[in-house]
Amino acid sequence: MEMILNALRDSLWLTLKLLLIILPLTISYEFLKERGLFSGTKPFFFMGITRPGLLPLITGVIIGLTYGAGVIVHSIKEYNLGKREVFLILLFLSVCHAIFEDTLIFVVIGANGLVVVVARLILAVVFTYLAYRARLFET
Amino acid sequence: MEIRKPLKRGLINGLSITFMMVKVIVPCYIAIEIIKHSGLIDIISRACRPFMSIFGLPGEAALSLVAGYLINMYAAIAVLTPLGLPAKDVTVVALMLGICHSLTMETPITKKTGAHASLLLLVRIALSLFSGVVLHLLWK
Repeated sequence: MEMILNALRDSLWLTLKLLLIILPLTISYEFLKERGLFSGTKPFFFMGITRPGLLPLITGVIIGLTYGAGVIVHSIKEYNLGKREVFLILLFLSVCHAIFEDTLIFVVIGANGLVVVVARLILAVVFTYLAYRARLFET
Repeated sequence: MEIRKPLKRGLINGLSITFMMVKVIVPCYIAIEIIKHSGLIDIISRACRPFMSIFGLPGEAALSLVAGYLINMYAAIAVLTPLGLPAKDVTVVALMLGICHSLTMETPITKKTGAHASLLLLVRIALSLFSGVVLHLLWK
């Protein structure tokens, strides 16, 4: 019984956090979109990620995979992100997301935050680039 | 500039994203509670203890890694802090867990996007172990 209550309490808490963070984001995206900020499908520098794909990528890197994934599901419908690009974004995010929160909680107990952030960024960029060049899931 | 329409669209999108994630989140938290009480973390971390030296870590650190992988970062921190490890060791754990954590929650979330979640799971575990070994060797 206590287990179920704990699970429900944690779920409710995360749901509230999601609402508080996602709503301002989706509303500001709509305003930015009105100004035509996300049009264009040229690959963004070298990782096979398009401009609409940057949206979930940046969201995830800064605030976390859960939020990034939510925005991805939405972007798939809205901008027709391809399967391959979705994989590349998630590969990047799997290795490197919530860089502030995840790093700071360890800095508090003595970790070198710069090492953690730089290593995660490098690994994410290198492996996303390799997957992009390897043409995984290309149709 | 039109204000009403984007505001309405943003609200609807935000609510539908949240609702969709809630359906994934609730079963995950139940799974996490079951894992916490099952003794699974103890069993796995005891089996991993002898291998911690490849990351330059004491055997006790295995519990923190396994808790981070299966539950979340906060569970990992809670068992790591009392060990009072030096900065290098804490950084190795932080990097390994930064790359790979909360798998019970994040793998189903990844799957929700339609991406190859089990492949990404393997990549995360492999990169986590790899980065731990490399950082240990580089940090002299």
